[in-house]
Amino acid sequence: MECSHSKSPALVVAGWLSLLPLCAQGADYAAPLRLQAGDGFLGAGRLYPSPVFHDVNGDGRIDLVVGDLVGHLTVALREPGDGPPRFGKEQTLKAVDGQELDFGNW
Amino acid sequence: MSPQFVDFNADGHLDIVAGIFDGSPHVALGSANGYIQPVQILDQEGQRIVLNQFWNFETKKWDATTRCDPPTGELPKGQCTSAFAWDLDADGDLDLLLGDYTGGVLYLRRNEGTATAAKFATRNEPVLAGGKPLMVPHKMATPRVLDFDRDGLQDLVIGSMGDAYGAGEGGAVYLFRNAGENGAPQFGEPTVLVVPSTKGHVDGPVRPDAGLYMDVADFEGDGDLDLVVGGYSMWQPKAPELTDAQKARVKELRAAIDETSKAMSAIYQAIQKAVEGLDEEAASTRRKELMAAKQDELAAIGKRNKELRTELEPMSADQKRESFVWLYENKAQAPAAPVRRP
Repeated sequence: MECSHSKSPALVVAGWLSLLPLCAQGADYAAPLRLQAGDGFLGAGRLYPSPVFHDVNGDGRIDLVVGDLVGHLTVALREPGDGPPRFGKEQTLKAVDGQELDFGNW
Repeated sequence: MSPQFVDFNADGHLDIVAGIFDGSPHVALGSANGYIQPVQILDQEGQRIVLNQFWNFETKKWDATTRCDPPTGELPKGQCTSAFAWDLDADGDLDLLLGDYTGGVLYLRRNEGTATAAKFATRNEPVLAGGKPLMVPHKMATPRVLDFDRDGLQDLVIGSMGDAYGAGEGGAVYLFRNAGENGAPQFGEPTVLVVPSTKGHVDGPVRPDAGLYMDVADFEGDGDLDLVVGGYSMWQPKAPELTDAQKARVKELRAAIDETSKAMSAIYQAIQKAVEGLDEEAASTRRKELMAAKQDELAAIGKRNKELRTELEPMSADQKRESFVWLYENKAQAPAAPVRRP
């Protein structure tokens, strides 16, 4: 497999492993794919969306939890199937009190 | 904020740790029935954990302190907006990494207690890279810790903010490999995993350009580490060819949008003028009353503004700035064997 990162002028590493191209260290990233959740784009309209990988429902598929600047969290469950990853519509993450889990106290 | 799922208090339930914009780390403790609403994580003296900039809830203003600064060394202004729980010193309990939004520095708040009874130090320690405080250019979005190169040592992956509004260099994702040992990490210069955005995209979003909050995991289950990156994409749409009638409508729409903006601004200015001279508590109460009285009017103006902008958008070549989440799938083969240092 061709290693596109070996051509990157931005490759700067300290130590003896700096002689290794990034792909030899296990990383060669494809062009980014904008993710969808339900009918829309994941994180659209959010202030500074901060996604995290997490298997929320324990089905063995890694889902995405997305935080934001105002302290809200949503869950997009990964749907089964081959091909590009698909996610269900974002749902609000709730606390045990039934209210939205809210980190935004400022 | 930068959520992390981790068993923070070692009770067998996953918790959510996050640094938020008030400048302090928080935790939503997990239980058998779900998550409890978040609370601030405090130090062993019951004080807020902050860098040297924070939102003061008592004065309701941004504030500064040197209370938590390391004993030596001048530090840039710092505001903690991201946190990551990690047993950096391998003593069996979780310490806290604090990401600095302002200066791009990474700090450690050491846990001097135990896994189940945390006692966080009262001062921050800068995490070092190459013997100097570890820093990423253009502000820090969030740090993550994992064994990226599978050599048995925990490495750092850090997303940066970049210039979030202008044409300056955008955000990036950096890997700081651990060349020390677990419990005594040594980080060097970074490898770039996602190059800093140069922006200038045309006709559509192509990547996250600013505010690169990210996470790392083997999302595809193929043995290598993928990235998920949130942030703002910025692009310049192609200028549409407009008829004379459309050009005239664009002019009308821009004028109408300007009017709604002025109307909204006038309401806020009037409220601000009405509370001038009042003490903080009275001003807060009066401001809430006035805002409540103007709520419907503000909502109507906001709705009108949105309608106008929606109509203008397809006829406009204004720069776009929208938030999305992107997957960077790793196409490399995972290292066949751990990459060990000599």
